[in-house]
Amino acid sequence: MILPIGPIHPALKEPIRLKLQTEGEKVVKAEIEYGYVHRGIEKIIEGQTWQRGIYLSERVCGICSYEHTQTFAETIEKICGVQAPPRAQFLRVITNELDRIQSHFLGNSTFFKALDHETLFMHVLELREYAMDSIELLTGNRVNMGWNVVGGVKMDADERHFKPILENLKKIEEGFERTREIFAEGPALGLRTKGVGVMTKKEAIRGRAVGPIGRGSGIKYDYREDHYTYKDYFDFKTIWRKEGDNYARTLNRFDEIPESISLVRQAIENIPEGDIRIPVELKSGYAQWRNEAPRGEVTYTIETNGNLIKHISIRTPSIPNMDSCAKYMIRDVPSVADAVATYASCDPCVACAERVAVTDEHGKTSLKNFGEVM
Amino acid sequence: MLYSIKYIVRKSSIHVCIVNCGGCNGCDVECVALLSPRYDLEQYGIYVHNNPREADVLLLTGAVTEQWRENLKRVYDKAPEPKIVVAIGNCPQSGDVFNQEGGHVYAPASDFVPVDAAVPGCPPRPSEILEAILAVGPQAIADRGREKR
Repeated sequence: MILPIGPIHPALKEPIRLKLQTEGEKVVKAEIEYGYVHRGIEKIIEGQTWQRGIYLSERVCGICSYEHTQTFAETIEKICGVQAPPRAQFLRVITNELDRIQSHFLGNSTFFKALDHETLFMHVLELREYAMDSIELLTGNRVNMGWNVVGGVKMDADERHFKPILENLKKIEEGFERTREIFAEGPALGLRTKGVGVMTKKEAIRGRAVGPIGRGSGIKYDYREDHYTYKDYFDFKTIWRKEGDNYARTLNRFDEIPESISLVRQAIENIPEGDIRIPVELKSGYAQWRNEAPRGEVTYTIETNGNLIKHISIRTPSIPNMDSCAKYMIRDVPSVADAVATYASCDPCVACAERVAVTDEHGKTSLKNFGEVM
Repeated sequence: MLYSIKYIVRKSSIHVCIVNCGGCNGCDVECVALLSPRYDLEQYGIYVHNNPREADVLLLTGAVTEQWRENLKRVYDKAPEPKIVVAIGNCPQSGDVFNQEGGHVYAPASDFVPVDAAVPGCPPRPSEILEAILAVGPQAIADRGREKR
């Protein structure tokens, strides 16, 4: 029997349709139907200036909105052959890591909500608010920050900002240890998460899983290792696990948070003096740039014509993650409740996922996912 | 008799359903932040359930996309009377940045369903969303209950 879930459903936060094929209580396989939040962002950006493009790129996704603007700015910088000044690069690292902390907390809290574990859900959301406070203090906004521009960042920060941020990080660390222990050592949570929704390394590569989902299955790959700022100035460890189940993915996200806190501390300690923004002479050209967003790697391909954007193509991590979730994770899952929890464990972000529309010869517009078009 | 008791009870316990009809997710995230212990939505008797069949308040977020043109009315019809619709963010009011050439949105949402209150902002703060629900929710539900009787 096929059990449809969504687009509006108590278990889902975003509009998407999950079709679960069940045999009794057991879920045999799953299918995901996209197409509820297609807005046509890429088409709108075409023919606009970068000032308008960066504003729109921030609204691709509301959770990891920061990383999109940084990638957009760095792609244009690559076309023009410049790099942001070191102080701006450090400020970008601080904001990026704070954004990663809040996104990982939110992803885990959604997973605990899907497991019906209200206590951990509340603990995790409480800790997230400290990260949101720090972001608001630094940039002035909670979600869509408007912080990056081509050639640097908009505003400078000083001791007045850094001191409260360090205090907030300390509060996060205090609560974090206990929260992580409740999840990692709890016997009931272990029964619900260990060995459920297993995806092997081979399957993760075939499904092109990225980010914490790929790293939870044993792909030791973090794009921050190749980024020039992180490579030159920072010291961090790539977190990865072998198991590939819901437990591994959630714990992987938990373990990345102390690394991000340490990166923010390093950036605040060693921040150099100097400009925060340099003037950029816009050129025509074509470039591709990748960055590690909280959910995996984001790729921007931009072709410019003087100061106008001729073509833009955005690849977000959510589509490969959700596709590999439907294909490999939700397969012979013991119950429907576990299938929904498995879907939540891949940290889905539907708003990222939909930008492609395909028109066939009869003029009928249909909305397709990335995999089908490729 | 049964209905009058029902309206009195529903006045102080509001069930909320978030309907994301094609936004960037930012407003939804702020609605989830409302559940956190800092804002503690449930102390005001508000419960986020995400089930339109039990909802008193529908929170609309996002510019209306192609798929939602018909479905939005269907979701609205499923909610029992009396019901309130609160539009969160700029998108359901004007379409925000998506409402320009090349975009596939059909904002405003008031073309499809009656909207009772609107909170502008991209996205609005959680406290503003909470204020809007409390300002319009209990009184309007009580009033409409009286009209029906």
